[in-house]
Amino acid sequence: MTITTFKLNLGPQHPSTHGVLRLILELEGEKILSCEPDVGYLHRGMEKMAERMSYIQYLPLVDRIDYLAGFFYSELYCRIVEKALNIELSQRVKFIRVIMLELNRIASHLLWIGAFLMDLGAISPYFYAFREREMILRYFEKLTGQRMMYNYFVFGGIRRDIGYIEDIEEILKILPVKLNDYERIITENPIFISRTKGKGILTKYTALNYSITGVNLRASGISYDVRNTDYLYEGLKYKPVVLYSCDAWARYKARILEIRESVTLIKQVIEYLKSCSPTEQKPISPLNLKLPEGNYYGEIEAPRGMASCYVESVGEDRPYRLKWRTGSYYSVNLLRKLLVGNYLNDAIAIAGSLDIILPEVDK
Amino acid sequence: MNIGEFWNIFEGAELVENRIILKDDLHKALQFALENYSFNLLKDITAVEKRDKSIDLTYHLYSVENDEDLLITINVWNEAESVIDLFKSAIADENEIYDMFGIKFIGNEYLKRLYMPESWEGFPLRKDYIQSDERLAWDDDNNV
Repeated sequence: MTITTFKLNLGPQHPSTHGVLRLILELEGEKILSCEPDVGYLHRGMEKMAERMSYIQYLPLVDRIDYLAGFFYSELYCRIVEKALNIELSQRVKFIRVIMLELNRIASHLLWIGAFLMDLGAISPYFYAFREREMILRYFEKLTGQRMMYNYFVFGGIRRDIGYIEDIEEILKILPVKLNDYERIITENPIFISRTKGKGILTKYTALNYSITGVNLRASGISYDVRNTDYLYEGLKYKPVVLYSCDAWARYKARILEIRESVTLIKQVIEYLKSCSPTEQKPISPLNLKLPEGNYYGEIEAPRGMASCYVESVGEDRPYRLKWRTGSYYSVNLLRKLLVGNYLNDAIAIAGSLDIILPEVDK
Repeated sequence: MNIGEFWNIFEGAELVENRIILKDDLHKALQFALENYSFNLLKDITAVEKRDKSIDLTYHLYSVENDEDLLITINVWNEAESVIDLFKSAIADENEIYDMFGIKFIGNEYLKRLYMPESWEGFPLRKDYIQSDERLAWDDDNNV
C-alpha cells in the first residue's frame, strides 16, 4: 500500500477560522505534515491610509484594527500624539482610560471563551459568555454611543467624562459569580480537558522565537507584561498571570484568571474615581495638528499580545510613516510550527486557543 | 547594555539616539546580540523609506531576562540578509516588508505576496507607488 499526501484548504469560509483565515494543510491521512497560512483577505491598507490622512482623520479608523478591542489601539495612537506634543494627562483621565481598557479586555476575553468552546463543539458557553459581554457592550453604548468602534479617546483626553459608574459596579458584582459558573461548566469538564490538556504545547523557546506575546506567552511560563511599565497603570496593584503547562488548557485558564485580575484593577480605579472631583481635562484642538519632526514609539498590552505603533514625522500634518505591530499576526505565523504533527481535529482547538483575530493580522 | 563591544566587532557601527546604526553584517550583529546578551525576542522589523529611496530596516530586539530594548538599524536598497534562522518570527516580518516595499531577503524561502494578490504590480508603501486604477485611489496633490 502506498501512502499519499494531499493538500487541504482550511478556510477561508470555515466557521472556526473566525472570518477570513485560510490555512493550506498538507495531510497524510489525518496527520498534518505542514501548514501554510494565507492571509490578506481583509487587508485595508491601514498603514498607507495613515500617510494620506491628517492625524484626527485617522483616529476613528484606528478602532477598526481590532474591532473586538478597539480601545487599545485608540489609546496607543493617542499616546503617540500626546508623547510627541508633551501632553500630561490628569490622573482622572488616566484612570478612566484604564477602566475602559480593562472592560474592553474582559469583553474580548469573554468573546474568545465563547468562540473557543463553540469551536470545540460546546454550544451553551457561547451564549453564557455573550450574555455577560452584552452587559459590558451596553455600558459602552451608554457612555460612548457605540458598541464596538468607540472613538472615545481623543488627543489629550477623552471625548466626555465618565458616567454611570453604578453600571460598572453592577458588572463587577455579577462577573465573578458568572466566572465561577464557567469554571464549573468548562474547566472541570472531562471532554474539555481531554481536548485541550497537552494539546498544542508551546514551549518557552518556541514562544520567544516566534515573537509570541501577551496571554499566550504568559501561559508558557514567561512573565512578560507591558502593563508593568505602562504609565497608565502606575499606582495600581496588579499581578501578572503566569501558568506553566504551556498547552491549550493553560491558555484558556490564563484568560479566565486575567478577567479576574482585570476586575480587581477596575475596583481599585473606581475607589479612586469616587474620591476625586469630576473636573475634566480638556482635549487639545485637533485642527492643524502637526507633530514635531522625529520618531515616536509606544506599546500597550492588548488582549492578543503586545501591540505597538511607530510613527515617523517630518513636521507635516500627517505621518511620514506609520507602522503597527499586532499580536495576532505572529500567532498566525506560529501555526506553521504548532500544527505540524497534530491531527486535523486538534488543529481547530490549537488554532482557536491562540486567539487569532483577522482584522488585526491584515491591518 | 554596554554596546562598547559592538564598536570592536562591527566596523563603522555608530550610536544615534537609542539605536545602533550598522553599515554591514546585520545577521552577525543580531546573532551576537542574541547569543551574548540574550536578546531573545524580536519584537518587530520596521521599514521606512527614506528620501533617497533607500530603506531603513529597524530590528527591535528585547531581552525578557534583563527587560531591555535594543534597536538595530541598517540602510538597504533592494536586498537584505534574512534572519529567519535566528528568529522564526522574522518570516512574518520579512514577508510583510517584501510585500509592501519589495525588498528581497536573501535566505528566506517563504517570501510571497502576502496581503496583495499574486498578480499585483508595485509595492504599496513605497513613496513613488502610483495606482493606475483611479477608482481605487485618490491623490490630494493632483486632485484626482
